[in-house]
Amino acid sequence: MSAAIDMNGAASLEVRGLCKSFGGIHAVKDISFEVRPGEIIGLIGPNGAGKTTCFNLITGFYTPTAGSVRYGGSDVTGEKPYRMARRGIVRSFQKTNILKSLTVFENVLTGHYLEARQSLWQTFFPGRRVRATEAAVRESAARIVETMGLAHRMDSPASILSCGELRLLEVALALAAKPKVLMLDEPAAGLNSQEARTFGEILRTLPGRLVQSVLIVEHNMGLVMAVSDRVVVMHFGEKLAEGTPAQVQGDARVVEAYLGRKAMA
Amino acid sequence: MKFERNCLFAFLALAALVPFAVRDQYVLHIAIMVLFYAVLATSLNLVVGYVGEFSLGHTAFLGTGAYAAAILSTQYGWPMWLTIPVAGLLSALVGALIGAITLRLQGPFFVIVTLSFAEVLRLVADNWIGLTNGPMGIAGVPQPGVLAEAGNLASKQFYYAVAWGLLALALYLSWRFVHSNAGRAAVAIRENRYVAQSIGVRPLTYSMLALVLGALLSGMAGGFYAHYISFVGPEMFRFAFMVSMIIMVLVGGKGTLVGPLIGALLVTFLEEYLREAKELRLSIFGLAVIAIVLFLPQGLMGFAGRRRERRNPAPAAATGPATPPAPKVAHHASGRTA
Repeated sequence: MSAAIDMNGAASLEVRGLCKSFGGIHAVKDISFEVRPGEIIGLIGPNGAGKTTCFNLITGFYTPTAGSVRYGGSDVTGEKPYRMARRGIVRSFQKTNILKSLTVFENVLTGHYLEARQSLWQTFFPGRRVRATEAAVRESAARIVETMGLAHRMDSPASILSCGELRLLEVALALAAKPKVLMLDEPAAGLNSQEARTFGEILRTLPGRLVQSVLIVEHNMGLVMAVSDRVVVMHFGEKLAEGTPAQVQGDARVVEAYLGRKAMA
Repeated sequence: MKFERNCLFAFLALAALVPFAVRDQYVLHIAIMVLFYAVLATSLNLVVGYVGEFSLGHTAFLGTGAYAAAILSTQYGWPMWLTIPVAGLLSALVGALIGAITLRLQGPFFVIVTLSFAEVLRLVADNWIGLTNGPMGIAGVPQPGVLAEAGNLASKQFYYAVAWGLLALALYLSWRFVHSNAGRAAVAIRENRYVAQSIGVRPLTYSMLALVLGALLSGMAGGFYAHYISFVGPEMFRFAFMVSMIIMVLVGGKGTLVGPLIGALLVTFLEEYLREAKELRLSIFGLAVIAIVLFLPQGLMGFAGRRRERRNPAPAAATGPATPPAPKVAHHASGRTA
């Protein structure tokens, strides 16, 4: 893994007028935002605001009812999840999703799938090139495990990890796919406040080093406000506000969405 | 990985010694069947153990291979060294066709549809009398020319060598598949389809590769069987073969390469040993499968794997339950980032 990733030809992820209805329920209504290279964007909102649906729409797990997703100038709306991954848009999941029966190292090694892809012939008759690639991805997997602070768990089966460690493993697994845009769905859920702070510090180092940009859904406000360059607030499927953490925190509508309106005297 | 490789080499080496030690034709016959079933169980395990989809239609490939070899040799006079590979390739083709339809389904749906494909092929074999000779089957599949002068024992030894070669090929291809990036992708699909897709794996590609590889191997095994038994009938497609294969994979341990070999060895000998028990035999096997699913879901190899872990405790496992792991993360992580 090189120290810095190539930011030349870095691309923006643009979401324009995204809508998704399930029957009569409008889960996501006309959401637009942009993730530019080098940025960490926070996507927040009360429970049920449509944040995870938004993730599923962008990564192709759902097909949008209307609107578009563009990446690097090309229209990628509704492309299959594995195609999005090949374009460099990799996500983690809200409900922890890892490869449970494998060890931490094996999990992250598997995440290097795209980097280690080989032809059918090479699968059955591997040559020097395959061996070199295998050695490289093993080295890279070990480094990613270390980056996420899981070095002491390297060879432990994922099934014995604590809740917090599983969240870190999930991020490591996503990083292993060498994403350009890393999309994290509540990565700090289950971390205690010290762990969350440490996680935030790690996250801050990623743009420009391992990834180009990060889109993060998170309920831990301390973490989101500390790491994000801009924050997009969703409420009942719609975009309520967008701005720097300070702007958003001062926005009366955002406070109202989270805490409710002050009773009128 | 080393342990597994050594086990496979040991199995093949021991198997290579058998024909020198055994002079009894009956025992040699059983040894041939062990190798034959080991190929079948290995091929089924690629789908069941690594992609994690339970195929009940694996006899479709076995039967296709057997019929292909029987028809090519009786009607077109092809020699055995040609019919077995061609039988494998034809089965692989059938595997690709069936896979293209069935692998879009998962779980119980996949199980039922694969089962129905095997049934359909059995009906075809039963009724397309012009090609398959219907329920009468194809008798007198020719033996290779070199056996014309040879005695019974020598021909058994010859077939044993062929079966050994097939098993070696099956293990080589499976080993390469399992320990490659493709094998890791297959395991990712088995463990978690969502994760697999989000790291860029197209699930159909690798479930298809495993199924076609499995079909190739069981088709070759079928071709071998046709020549060895010298008779092929519609019962090749029957559920009995399927049951044997499933028991072998489950008993030995699915998702390991050594498991199906152990399963094949145990079950083939047990089937012979329990021959006196007649119908009761199947009930005994049924109980054995229930017991294994309940108490040993990883099979015998899972047991070996667990024991191995205890002998070689990982650094984390040694301190694991005693100290709460959560603060350790923070400590390590902050140590790195400070």
